[in-house]
Amino acid sequence: MDGPAGLPPPPDVAAGLAPADSAARAAGGRGERPVFLPSSIDPTVFDEGFLRQLERLKVLMRAPVRGGLKGGRRSVKRGQSVEFADFRDYALGDDLRQLDWNVLARLEKLFIKLYVEEEDVTIHFLIDASASMGSGTPSKLLFAQRAAAALGYIGLASEDRVAITSLGGRAGRRQVALRGSGRVFRLLSALSGIGTADGPTDLMAAARHAGAQLSGRGVIVLLSDLLDPNADRVIRELAATGSELIILHVLSPQELDPPMEGDLRLVDVETGDGIDVTVDLATLDGYKARLEAWRQAFADLAARRRATYVPLSTDVPLSDLMFAELRRRQVVG
Amino acid sequence: MSFISPLALLGLVFVPAVVAMYLLKLRRDEAVVPSTLLWQRLVADVEANAPWQRLRRSFLLLLQLLLVLLLAALAARPFLERPAGLAQDLVLVIDTSASMAATDVVPDRLTVAKAAALDVLRDLPAGGVVSVVAAGRTARVVVNSTGDMGRVRAAVQGLAVQAVSGDLGDALNLADALAARSGDAEILVATDAALAVAPTSRLQHKVKVLAVGRDRRNQAIVALAVRQAASGVTRSVFVSVANLDIQAAQRRLQVYGDGVLLEARDLTLDAQTRADAIIDDIPAAVQVVEVRLDRSGPAADNLALDDRAWAVVPPQRLRRILLVAEGDPYLETALTYLPNTELYGVKPAVYGPTTHPELFDLVIFEGTLPAVLPAGPILAIAPKASSVLGDVLGTIKDPAIGSLDPEEPVLRYVDLSTTHVGTAIKMVLPAWARAIIPGPSGAPLLYAGDLAGRRAGVLAFEPRLSDLPLQVAFPILVSNLAGELMGGSAAPTAAIEPGSPVALPLPSNATSLTVTKPDGANVQLAPGTPGSSSVSFSQTDQLGVYTATATFPEATPSPVALPTGTTRPTASPAASAAPSPAASSPPVPTAPPADPNAPARFAVDLFDAAESNIAPGSPVAIEALGGGPGAGAGPGSPGPSAGAGSPAVASPSPTAAAGAATAERPKARDELWIPIVLLVLLVLMAEWLVYQRDAVLRLWRAFRARLAGSRGA
Repeated sequence: MDGPAGLPPPPDVAAGLAPADSAARAAGGRGERPVFLPSSIDPTVFDEGFLRQLERLKVLMRAPVRGGLKGGRRSVKRGQSVEFADFRDYALGDDLRQLDWNVLARLEKLFIKLYVEEEDVTIHFLIDASASMGSGTPSKLLFAQRAAAALGYIGLASEDRVAITSLGGRAGRRQVALRGSGRVFRLLSALSGIGTADGPTDLMAAARHAGAQLSGRGVIVLLSDLLDPNADRVIRELAATGSELIILHVLSPQELDPPMEGDLRLVDVETGDGIDVTVDLATLDGYKARLEAWRQAFADLAARRRATYVPLSTDVPLSDLMFAELRRRQVVG
Repeated sequence: MSFISPLALLGLVFVPAVVAMYLLKLRRDEAVVPSTLLWQRLVADVEANAPWQRLRRSFLLLLQLLLVLLLAALAARPFLERPAGLAQDLVLVIDTSASMAATDVVPDRLTVAKAAALDVLRDLPAGGVVSVVAAGRTARVVVNSTGDMGRVRAAVQGLAVQAVSGDLGDALNLADALAARSGDAEILVATDAALAVAPTSRLQHKVKVLAVGRDRRNQAIVALAVRQAASGVTRSVFVSVANLDIQAAQRRLQVYGDGVLLEARDLTLDAQTRADAIIDDIPAAVQVVEVRLDRSGPAADNLALDDRAWAVVPPQRLRRILLVAEGDPYLETALTYLPNTELYGVKPAVYGPTTHPELFDLVIFEGTLPAVLPAGPILAIAPKASSVLGDVLGTIKDPAIGSLDPEEPVLRYVDLSTTHVGTAIKMVLPAWARAIIPGPSGAPLLYAGDLAGRRAGVLAFEPRLSDLPLQVAFPILVSNLAGELMGGSAAPTAAIEPGSPVALPLPSNATSLTVTKPDGANVQLAPGTPGSSSVSFSQTDQLGVYTATATFPEATPSPVALPTGTTRPTASPAASAAPSPAASSPPVPTAPPADPNAPARFAVDLFDAAESNIAPGSPVAIEALGGGPGAGAGPGSPGPSAGAGSPAVASPSPTAAAGAATAERPKARDELWIPIVLLVLLVLMAEWLVYQRDAVLRLWRAFRARLAGSRGA
């Protein structure tokens, strides 16, 4: 899973790595050489100050979930935390350390005190790696990688499990789930190993494949341009898994406001299909209206499915995304 | 509608060419996009609106097809026919006299007349020819019988006002002669009919008049002269201003000496009257006097040409006085004080025909009178006997001086309050004279007047028999009296009439003469025959002062000697005039010894009250001179409207046209290229807008956004 970990970093990487490296040491990491190459990601994004700011955040969930290991999130189970939850009658075999002695003294009845259990959850990042994600300046895939890296670091820092799955072709390739902030470099490595798929991508099939690999309820973060005829069905099926679904709809500025004019033949980068269009101002106005309606349909669908839909442009700075846009939409807090 | 060049409609073959170009498959540039998902939906929408979209896309094609049609039509030269309002041969007479410069119509009468004449030319039948005659001081054919309307337009536009008195009759006669070459001819006159000389001769052809002008408000300088003042020392300017309006006017008169304002005076001019003004004490150094009627303010009239006039101050000339007396030192001394004067003396016994009194500007007889008086000015002092100068009744002792007229020019600056006369001749004031110094009981002591065309004066007492010579008043009185009798320095240089030739004296040895016109242009004149003493200059069409400078051969020094055959008078006139009654014969004076090589100046002034009268006359009177068939056939087309200030065809019955002559004429053609060219421009503009609609829309949106931004701020 380490992928290209053994490759030497390019010369310009070494300087950019210093903050991340020190952050790794501070996090008690094993001193692995990072492979999430800052040559393709702004190195200042992940400096120590930015990481400290990210550590203050947490991926929010609407409801307690049943998790796996002991973690930092409230679970629906009763457990060993310090937060009181309820009473129940004593039963044989109960731990006498949980007996409420004060109640016993006043009422001469045996009650056991119940405490909130704190467990971890798994944050699944589903990154659309279709060929269309490679377009745009900066590319949509790179933007998705950076957003996933930042959100993944938040998850690792808050003792959640983080799993990365790339959706390309007709399958979802899942990386191993990571836990603990010391695994941040493996997270970055896994992200940097994602590249755009050759040929067309069946987002529906890939998402369905990735959904089948999910274990238990958690948080699914879908980072995609949703440029697929079945994108709405993808959203429906992911929302039906019981996990909380967060959709980061990534589009490039060139898609939001196409800089083209005249008589053109538009060629689909995935399918190679062409379409003849005479682009003028009226056409562009129609395109923008169509785009807006398309995004609004996703927003409506997400609202109906209790999912969170965040439309994004790749020219949004990562700090604005993390500390403004996602906080405003209560994805992190 | 017909076409002059119908073959040009072959240009319509380009219509299928344009269509073919549109039918060719459009080659599109390829652009790789992440997905065509959204574009497919958009194209689906576009195809749903296919009819309208197709129409919109083919709009450029429609415009280009329309452009081809219009250009082919333009090349074919379509025209509309209508009845011609003018004869086949048209002689256009345009009045260019001074009154056509009047600005009662904007910008001036000539410009309006030219525009009206060119406008009427649209009624010329196809194949018609035009001759243009300019009616200035003399008639001039500008264009002779041409069908080239561009040449006619250029010739008419090139006409300018001549500051002359026009002679329309001459132009009409010339036009009639030109029209006689053709069977179907008429004369069209563009004039204000404000004619200095009304034409009277009958014409063979029909005459139509384009009348311009509507106002007669004008004041003009009609006379200007510079004369020596009575004192003989200073000079006065005499100006006569005529108000040709039918309302009183208030104008400011400005007098300039060599370009420097000397005096300004407000004149009140009653309607149809003249007002004279005399400006005294013009400085001696002034060579050119200019008089202007101030045109600033609302008082300005409609004609500027006659509001300025120039006069050249004649050069000082030596004047000769002959004193016939036994000897009077007081009088001789006083006479020697006169400037520019040579005094000669002769005894009465010697005086006779050999004395040549006709060569003197003034002959003074003291105590005597010859039987035959000279023809020139005379001053008789104490005549002993009666003569035509006055009857002698005897003598009077200690005559008292009567009441003096303070306005008397001869007594200007003369104080006689302490003067006593011992003995005087008792004279009777003759009818031709006015009393200057009245004496007791109607016997004048000094009188002067105009005796049968000759200035004459009589002083009734000998100066030595009074205490007058001992007083300051005496030399002043002698000076004033001499000036009065000699009539100033010289006759004023007469102004030249504009356009008239002037003979300029050519100094001996001079090879040529350079005349500088008022606008600074130089004209070189050479004598027609060697040894000629004068050259003729005829380019006096501008008002103002002309300067003629002689040119001498470079090898020859500028001659200062007098012309051959003349002798300079005695170097010191005073010395020669010293009491020399013993002289047997007076020296014979010669011609004026003015420097013959000095530049000669002369002024050209309008000075024509008739031409300055800009009241529009009656065009009917001019039309009545015309004859020929079909009189009254006016332009049947939209001619110039008869509004105020705009020219009106004064034909009495323009619709009575359609005579036999008119019916035989080819019809007038109106080519339609102007609306077609406008349509082409419109189509081009529309095509550009359609093609650039996105850029225009973006500009508009950016402007709206900026506007909204500024409002928000």
